[in-house]
Amino acid sequence: MTATLETPEPVEVAVPDRPRTFLRGKGLVGLVLVGLVIFAGLLGPLLVSWDPYEQIPGANLLGPTAGHPLGTDDLNRDILARLLTGIRVDVLIAFTAVPIGALVGCAVGALATVNNVLDVAVQRLFDVLLAFPQLILAIGLAAVIGPGTTSVVIVIVCVEIPVFGRLLRAAVLRVREAQFVTASEVIGAGKAHVLRHHVLPNSLEPILVQLALSLSVAVFIEGAMSVLGIGVSPPHPSIGSVLTTSLRYLDLNPLFAIGPLAVTAVLVLGFQLIAQAANAARGA
Amino acid sequence: MSTTDVLTVEGLRISFGAVQAVRGIDFTVGEGEILALVGESGSGKSVTARAVLGLLPGKASVSGSARLGDQELVGADEEGLRQVRGRQVAMVFQEPATALNPVHTVGWQIAAVLRAHQPLSKAQALKEAVRLLDLVGIPDPGTRVGYYPHQLSGGQKQRVVIALALANSPRLIIADEPTTALDVTVQAEILDLLRDLRDRLGTAILLITHNMGVVADLADRVAVMHQGTLVEQAPVEDLFARPTRAYTRELLAAVPRLGHRAPAAVPAAELALELNQVVVRYKDFVAVDGVDLRVGQGEVVGLVGESGSGKSTLGKVAAGLLRPSSGTATVLGGDPATARRHIGFVFQDPGGSLNPRMSIEDCVGEPLRVHKVARGADYRARVAALLESVRLPAAYAGRRPRELSGGQRQRVGIARALALGPSLLIADEPTSALDVSVQATVLELLTGLQRELGFACLFISHDLAVVDSLAHRVSVLHRGRVVEEGPHHEVLRTPAADYTRRLVAAVPVPDPVEQRVRREGQVAPVG
Repeated sequence: MTATLETPEPVEVAVPDRPRTFLRGKGLVGLVLVGLVIFAGLLGPLLVSWDPYEQIPGANLLGPTAGHPLGTDDLNRDILARLLTGIRVDVLIAFTAVPIGALVGCAVGALATVNNVLDVAVQRLFDVLLAFPQLILAIGLAAVIGPGTTSVVIVIVCVEIPVFGRLLRAAVLRVREAQFVTASEVIGAGKAHVLRHHVLPNSLEPILVQLALSLSVAVFIEGAMSVLGIGVSPPHPSIGSVLTTSLRYLDLNPLFAIGPLAVTAVLVLGFQLIAQAANAARGA
Repeated sequence: MSTTDVLTVEGLRISFGAVQAVRGIDFTVGEGEILALVGESGSGKSVTARAVLGLLPGKASVSGSARLGDQELVGADEEGLRQVRGRQVAMVFQEPATALNPVHTVGWQIAAVLRAHQPLSKAQALKEAVRLLDLVGIPDPGTRVGYYPHQLSGGQKQRVVIALALANSPRLIIADEPTTALDVTVQAEILDLLRDLRDRLGTAILLITHNMGVVADLADRVAVMHQGTLVEQAPVEDLFARPTRAYTRELLAAVPRLGHRAPAAVPAAELALELNQVVVRYKDFVAVDGVDLRVGQGEVVGLVGESGSGKSTLGKVAAGLLRPSSGTATVLGGDPATARRHIGFVFQDPGGSLNPRMSIEDCVGEPLRVHKVARGADYRARVAALLESVRLPAAYAGRRPRELSGGQRQRVGIARALALGPSLLIADEPTSALDVSVQATVLELLTGLQRELGFACLFISHDLAVVDSLAHRVSVLHRGRVVEEGPHHEVLRTPAADYTRRLVAAVPVPDPVEQRVRREGQVAPVG
């Protein structure tokens, strides 16, 4: 070992720049799509002068006109106004139910990793929840608690809990084997310290991706429940309920269905693109 | 050596996007010659070998020329390359476990390679496979031909990989770190096999390695690579005796050698670590079988052994991470788990042992925070002092681990281990993931800090030369038992136990002349 080797290491190490995922490509497109829809929902009352509940005399099942760009429905209401208000309801449902489901799921999933018996119990419970197809679960729950906005939220929460629970459990089990966790244990750190500083921060990446994915699922579930007649109850508008009404009059006014379909498609596509971009950003 | 060249590489350049991995190199491999391509990680040696076989990913751009006999390989089409691969040039990989397909028998795999290039029936191919297995020294090849890879040991798997490479009598074998994943006694066998094959079959070998001992043992000529350029090319004796370039000299000087350090001992007053008849069982498997080990205050004890000898398990017992099935572990007169404040632990993988989401400051200062020793300005000052003690600039405090090189990360690991001023430092293979020159500086740093701070140290390693360079006493572990124990210069230079003798004899000396004398002096190969 000689003195000539005092500084053989390069002082600077090439660090790959974090890809600016949400400023280009899929991420940007996704953000723009979702942003457009939410923006339209928020500014709805300013864009359209009609009241979504108002029954306009003599305007039954009109086609697109200058006054009613998407026409009117069977109860003489302006479809565009109802659709824009429906976006608010949908976004509210999705952004309430998915985070609640994620929080509960993550808490249960993380707790399950502490104890083996608890883990087995929780896993079997998740198995039961996952065994039900989403819509069967929705019908069953609606039969018990009745249709309405609340049951849509409850169904989405129930669907998301096992998804997030499984995901966090797997991530925690993986990170727990990492050497920096052992390193922390050697120092004498307690379980809580290890969990809070090492395990959880390194387990959250997949959760963020799943959040975006689950938001798109929530929009889809709301629509499906409305079509089944167990979703948001009339006369309140939602994307799903506007779509359901339109399906009955497809022969009279095909353009009726285009509005809600386009909004649903754009929202789901937007959330999926965001999820894909987030997944790419974590290098998976 | 014959004058005809099997492989001629001229002006080879390889770049990945803007990054130039290889910047115009020239070399030749003659018939029946073993050329060693040496260099540290990132020097471009593996990329060069892969470029010759056209195995680089699509985003790599290759220019220059690599000729096999008269055939140009750079820019050759897929069909042309397919004819060359396996038939004229074959490759031996680093990790034999992953180079073999686990769901097929070794005979099936060799037969498949044979039938890809030769019109043989299945029975003929299988017969040829038995012959090849016999050639690479697998005992009872007639039975083993029906074995699956998991039924063979690591050394036998590497022999099978070599048999695969030999299947179509190639003119050139490219061996990419063929012994790095193997234990030192197995490494010696594989090196003997490669030399023997060259002598018997006249196959040229392009050997890629970072291990100077392997180079001295096997190579005829050496080409030293550094940052994508060829620094020096010379016959092996000349290179080791008279390196002309500064980089080669530094590289050779950084290689730790056995028996080059004066005997050293510390009067052991009190014991820092005491293991008494420790037994560790994993279900039916006994990993550690009745081990006694003592580390005095201020003493460095080296624990050496091959993979599976139980040395890392002992490290975990000493750190209180694992309870022995029977026997006792005592640190500073108490239980290891309660003495954690006084134990520092340095891990093998410097990347994996640092939380990627924490700054360097938080990584180093974690012990201080956990034990609530310091906070605020005092905390930052102590972390800065720790970083300085491992010779890292204080400006690195805000960086993330991924922004540091391997050696720098290991310094961070050492700083963290020293944060609470431990009385006992346990280092589990702290340098085996590092390049040789980086390893030298980390060892130097550890030795300096140990002298300065006077902590006791349990140094676990498979590398005898590394242990010899800093330990006062050495314990040799074999299959969970201590086979020999004593002062470092006695155990590693005049070993008494049979196993230690074999272990020491198997380590290739980074000196071709001395290595040849040793090789010829051995009556039977190690095994």
